[in-house]
Amino acid sequence: MMTKLKIPIGPHHPLLKEPISFLLTVEGERVLESSMRLGYVHRGIERLCQERTYVQAVHLIERICGICSHVHSTTYSHAVETLLGLEVPLRAHYIRALLCELERIHSHLLWLGVLAKNIGLDTVFMYTWRDREIVLDIMEELSGGRVSHTINIIGGVKIDLDQKMMDMISEKLEELAPKLTIALGLFENEPTVRIRTQGIGVITKEEARRHCVVGPIARASGVDIDVRRDIPRPPYDSLEFNVITHTDGDVWARTLVRIMETRESHRLIQQILSQLPSGDIAVKAKRRVPPGEVVCRFEAPRGELFYYIRSDGSNQPARIKIRTPTLPALSTLPEQLRDVNLADAPVILSGVDLCIACADR
Amino acid sequence: MELNWLQDILTKIEYVGPFDIRRLPEDETWVVIPFDKVFDLVKFIMEDDSTWHLSAITGQDTGGQIELLYHFWLRHGLTLCTRLAYENPQIKSITALIPGAAFYEREAAEMLGIGFTELKDESVLLLPDAWGKGWPLRKEKKDKHDD
Repeated sequence: MMTKLKIPIGPHHPLLKEPISFLLTVEGERVLESSMRLGYVHRGIERLCQERTYVQAVHLIERICGICSHVHSTTYSHAVETLLGLEVPLRAHYIRALLCELERIHSHLLWLGVLAKNIGLDTVFMYTWRDREIVLDIMEELSGGRVSHTINIIGGVKIDLDQKMMDMISEKLEELAPKLTIALGLFENEPTVRIRTQGIGVITKEEARRHCVVGPIARASGVDIDVRRDIPRPPYDSLEFNVITHTDGDVWARTLVRIMETRESHRLIQQILSQLPSGDIAVKAKRRVPPGEVVCRFEAPRGELFYYIRSDGSNQPARIKIRTPTLPALSTLPEQLRDVNLADAPVILSGVDLCIACADR
Repeated sequence: MELNWLQDILTKIEYVGPFDIRRLPEDETWVVIPFDKVFDLVKFIMEDDSTWHLSAITGQDTGGQIELLYHFWLRHGLTLCTRLAYENPQIKSITALIPGAAFYEREAAEMLGIGFTELKDESVLLLPDAWGKGWPLRKEKKDKHDD
C-alpha cells in the first residue's frame, strides 16, 4: 500500500497567479481528495464601500478585479442609476458594452493562454497573450488604462468615441481577426489539447445547477444562461449574438465555449461600432440616492455578476453585496479534484478560470 | 413573475400571512417571510422548477435586526427576505437543498455572526485565521482592536 501524502499548493505558488491555498491528498499519482482556503486577498471592499460616497465607490469597485474591472463598475453604476431613476443615454450604454466585450476577449484569451501553459503548450500560450495585447492596446487608447479603465460615472460614461478612435478600433480589430483564427484554431485542431482536456474536470448539468455555477463553465455543462440575453438591456437587445452552450461539461467543452464566445464578442464589437448612436454620453446624477433596494445582474467574462445595493437616502450606500462568478465555480473544485491523476490537477484548477481577487473581494 | 404562483407556494408551506410582497426595479420580486419558513419555501421553489438559480445570499445589519436575503433567478428575480434576532441569530441551512449555498452561508456567518444550523463546514471563508471577536459587517463594529 502506498503512503498518502499531502501536497500543499499555495497560497504562494508558481502555478497560481493569485494567492489561494489548496491541499491535495495523494496516493501515488492519484489525488484522493482536496481542500482549499480562500481569503488571502480579502480587502473588505463591501464594508469599505459603505464608508464612502456612491461616487467614490466607483473607483474602489473598479479595483475588485484586474481583468473584469469595467463590468464591476458597469453593474454598480447601473444599479445606482436604477435607484436614482436615471435614464442613461443610449450612447453611454453602447460605450459600456464595447468595453465589456473587449474585456471578454481579453479575459478569454488570458484563460486560454493559462490553460495552454498548464498543459505544456508554451508557444500557444505566447500566441494568445500576444494577441491579447491588441485588445489591451485598444483599451489603453480608449481609457488610458490597460486593466483599470474608470470610464464609468453614475449617469453614463466620461469618455466619448470620436471618428479617429473608432477607426483605430476597427483597424485593430481587423489586425486581431486573422490572429484569432490562428491562435484559436490551434486549440481546436491540436490533438494534445484534446488529450489533456477531454473527460477532465467534468461538471454535469445537474452539478452545475446544484453549485449555482454561472457563465462559460455552466454553459459548457449545458446550462443555457447568459444575462446579456436573459435580461434584455440596451444595447444587447438590438445586437445579434449567439449564446454558446455545450453538453460535455469537461475542460475541453469549456475551451470550445470560450473560443466561440471570443469570436462572438469580436462580432459584437463590430456591431456596436457600426450602430453607435449619436447623442450625450452622460446625464447629471444627484449625490443623494433615494431610499430603496436594487438587485442588479450583468454578464461578466466569467458569468453572472451580482450586485445588491440598499440605500438609506444618504450619499453613502447602506449595504453593497457583491457576488462574483468565480465563487460558485470554486465550490465545484473538491468534487472535480476527487480520484483524478495528479498531472490533471493543474488543468482542473485552470479549468474553473480562477479569479481569486474577485472571489475574495 | 406571477404573484398567484408565489402565493400558492406560500400557502403550500402553510404560511397564512401577512403577505408582504413588493416589486423592485430590474424585474425583481421581493417577499418577506418568517425565518422558520425559509427552508420549506426554498424546498417548494426547487421542487416546482429545479432550474431556479440561487444567485447569492446577502446578510445585512439593518440596525436592531439582521436581515438575510436569498436572491433567486429564473427569467425573473425573486428575493426571499427574512429577519433574524440581533442577538444570536439562527437559521436552518439550505445546503441540503442547494450545496452551492455553502460559501454564501459561511460568508454571512463570519461577517454577521449568523448561526446556520445543519451547515456541515463552518470554517472561515474569507477572514484570517487569527481574526478575533466581532463581525466586520455588524454596524457596531468599528475596529477589531476595540473588543
